[in-house]
Amino acid sequence: MIELIHLTKRYGRLAAVDDLDLVVPAGEIFGFLGPNGAGKTTTIRVMMGILKATSGQVLLDGHDVVSAAQEAKAITGFIPDRPFIYEKLSGREFLEFVGKLHRVEGTRLNRRIAELLEQLELSAWQNELVESYSHGMKQRLVVCAALLHEPRILVVDEPMVGMDPRGARTLKDLFCALARSGTTIFLSTHSIGIAEEICHRIGIIQKGRLIACGAMDDIRRQASASAGNLEDVFLELTRTQAGTEPALE
Amino acid sequence: MSAVALLLSPLWLSWKNSFFRGASSWSRRLLLAVLALCFWSGTYWVIRRVLRYFETVYDLGPALAYQLLLIILLTFLSMLLFSNLVAALSTYFLARDLDLVHAAPVSADGFFFARLIQTTVNSSWMVLFFSLPIFAAYGAVFGGGWMLYFWVALILPLFLIIPAALGAVVTHLLVYFLPAKRIRDVLFFIGLIAFVVMYFLFRFSQPERLVQPEAFGNFMQFLSAMEAPSSPYLPSSWSAEILAGSLFQRQTEQGFFFALLSSYALFLPLAASWVSGAVYFDGWSKAQESRQGRRKLPWLDWLLDAATSFFPQTTRAIMIKDIKTFLRDTTQWSQLFLLLALIVVYLYNFKVLPLDRSPMPAGMLRTLVSFANLALAGFVLSAVAVRFAFPAISLEGKAFWILQSAPISLRALLWSKFWLNVVPLLALGELLVFLSNILLHVPSWMMTLSLITVCLTTLGIAAINVGVGALYPNFNYENAAEIPTSFGGAVSMILSVVFIALTVAIEAWPIYQLAMASLRPGRVLAPPVTLIAPSLLAVAILTAAVVTISLRLGINRLEKLKD
Repeated sequence: MIELIHLTKRYGRLAAVDDLDLVVPAGEIFGFLGPNGAGKTTTIRVMMGILKATSGQVLLDGHDVVSAAQEAKAITGFIPDRPFIYEKLSGREFLEFVGKLHRVEGTRLNRRIAELLEQLELSAWQNELVESYSHGMKQRLVVCAALLHEPRILVVDEPMVGMDPRGARTLKDLFCALARSGTTIFLSTHSIGIAEEICHRIGIIQKGRLIACGAMDDIRRQASASAGNLEDVFLELTRTQAGTEPALE
Repeated sequence: MSAVALLLSPLWLSWKNSFFRGASSWSRRLLLAVLALCFWSGTYWVIRRVLRYFETVYDLGPALAYQLLLIILLTFLSMLLFSNLVAALSTYFLARDLDLVHAAPVSADGFFFARLIQTTVNSSWMVLFFSLPIFAAYGAVFGGGWMLYFWVALILPLFLIIPAALGAVVTHLLVYFLPAKRIRDVLFFIGLIAFVVMYFLFRFSQPERLVQPEAFGNFMQFLSAMEAPSSPYLPSSWSAEILAGSLFQRQTEQGFFFALLSSYALFLPLAASWVSGAVYFDGWSKAQESRQGRRKLPWLDWLLDAATSFFPQTTRAIMIKDIKTFLRDTTQWSQLFLLLALIVVYLYNFKVLPLDRSPMPAGMLRTLVSFANLALAGFVLSAVAVRFAFPAISLEGKAFWILQSAPISLRALLWSKFWLNVVPLLALGELLVFLSNILLHVPSWMMTLSLITVCLTTLGIAAINVGVGALYPNFNYENAAEIPTSFGGAVSMILSVVFIALTVAIEAWPIYQLAMASLRPGRVLAPPVTLIAPSLLAVAILTAAVVTISLRLGINRLEKLKD
């Protein structure tokens, strides 16, 4: 379970995340939508303990991401929007390194690496240096790395960028299967289609504030749009909210 | 596997893979190894020769050698302090893998010590590389036996870890206390100023006095001054004391100084880890926040427009972009301070040159020194050009596609880079030669010849660096400072030196004739133009060939990038 409690992150006078309150129960895929610069990546970086919140708290399965950082990170997998991979390592060496960071070792590590490489169709490339991988292959390798330690929570920032339709399909199926097995998935995306297809609930953030949250029908109600797809609802909500109060304080 | 070893594993695995599976050919590696060996042997040879000379000074040899050791270790220490500040900022706060590591359940101590080792290795390997032939030369001249190498092996890790821990502490505190993201600029200034100050201190401490004992009141005064460290509280002095015990059979408290050195080397990293534990997360979080915008400078736009108005529109656009990028990147332009220090020290050397104490006639000597200065200025220009002109194409980086897809010819692009670099290099070269010739009081014909020659060599050096830079482009650099230290940078430097050597060889004969004329009665005051003109013409033809060939090769390579 993920809990964001009155989470605020300011850059000087700009509130990138403003008093965000959110609970994502276990086994749910939560879609986190918002226009560019709305505060999605900042929220995720604070959730992963990479950025320090100005105020508020993040609990990952009850572990505070600041005061119990190691416990919180040990049960969480992270797929960043612009992932870094050591270019001079082979895919397998990279996975072994990340696995050991998460204290997965020995036969369990080898088993997990083999399973994930197979699942994400990278087995044939495992001994090649990462520098020779295409963008989509690097993305899939990062997904493998995030899932090695069988996390109870998965935080994903823009997962499908640069992926071919087959890769995107594999990933969507994988997320759904993980959620069914009890993994909580926090999925930030620009792609409304993906959110509509796989997310159980959706939150829309604008100027650091959560302007709508709930299942598709709830969101539609909040947007006063009885018909139309999520794209119409998203545009309606973000248009209504745009130009209201600025997030500057 | 311990957390520290695990966190360091991507580094050594990357090195291993680069070495065994990297793209660079074995012939290229062999050339680099030969170059490194030449540097190594050259350092060994020079130091051994100096020490042998000291040894000939009766009773004073060991004292002079000890002073030289102190100066060398102090220089190493100042270089280490500076490079550790920059390396620590990079490894702790700016490295690209930090998100990956911080998203994992890694202990703060494990992270701190792994990065400390990385910082130490990154900033110290070059000092380590150059220090070994120096210690070997000391061992060869003064003996010391296996005990010397035993002490060197014990001292060096301690000597390297102290500035690394200090660099880590200072960097942590600066990032914590200074405004976010301005830190890189601020640190560069602090480091740079510290480096320049140390450079000046070193130069003005006049190490040449080591060979001028007459400057002291009496012999005993000189001897006692030479046998004591100038700064007894520095790790460099402690290390020198320990080594002096083995080298010069002096009664020194080796055990005491070793205990002092090792206690600092153990305590400082520990203290640094406490500081890191207290401030790291806040500082790291702050370091990611966006940089504030810069003020617009209308006068700069006007100045750049006016200065580039002679060039075609596209060339002009590229030049203005390059100048603005250079001025806004503090890590680039702050190196001009170093250049300034270099010029001052360079000219200062000419001021203190004891030409009048030479047995040779002063007039002839001045001409010969001025001629040698042409080669030296050429070497300085090559070093500056490899730093600034060689990366010209590579600095386009991942944005090179913009130029590739724009309706401009690669020829125009390379020529714009060439002219942009010629102007400052020419100003530097002419300034160096003009001022040093003024200090040398050379005859006017020598001044004219020097100024024309340096103008021609600058054109050649700029073309070699821009051309070879295009021949070996590196658009995927992580840090701009790594571009000149590449294989292409070494090729560029070698070609520049060969070009200068050819120029000097062409002009050597007429200058020798004219210098010798001053020895004869009824000396020639205004030399016949016929003597100098052919050699100048030959240098001009050589320069034209070098410029044309270098830029042609560069253009061809850039054309092939499209394949």
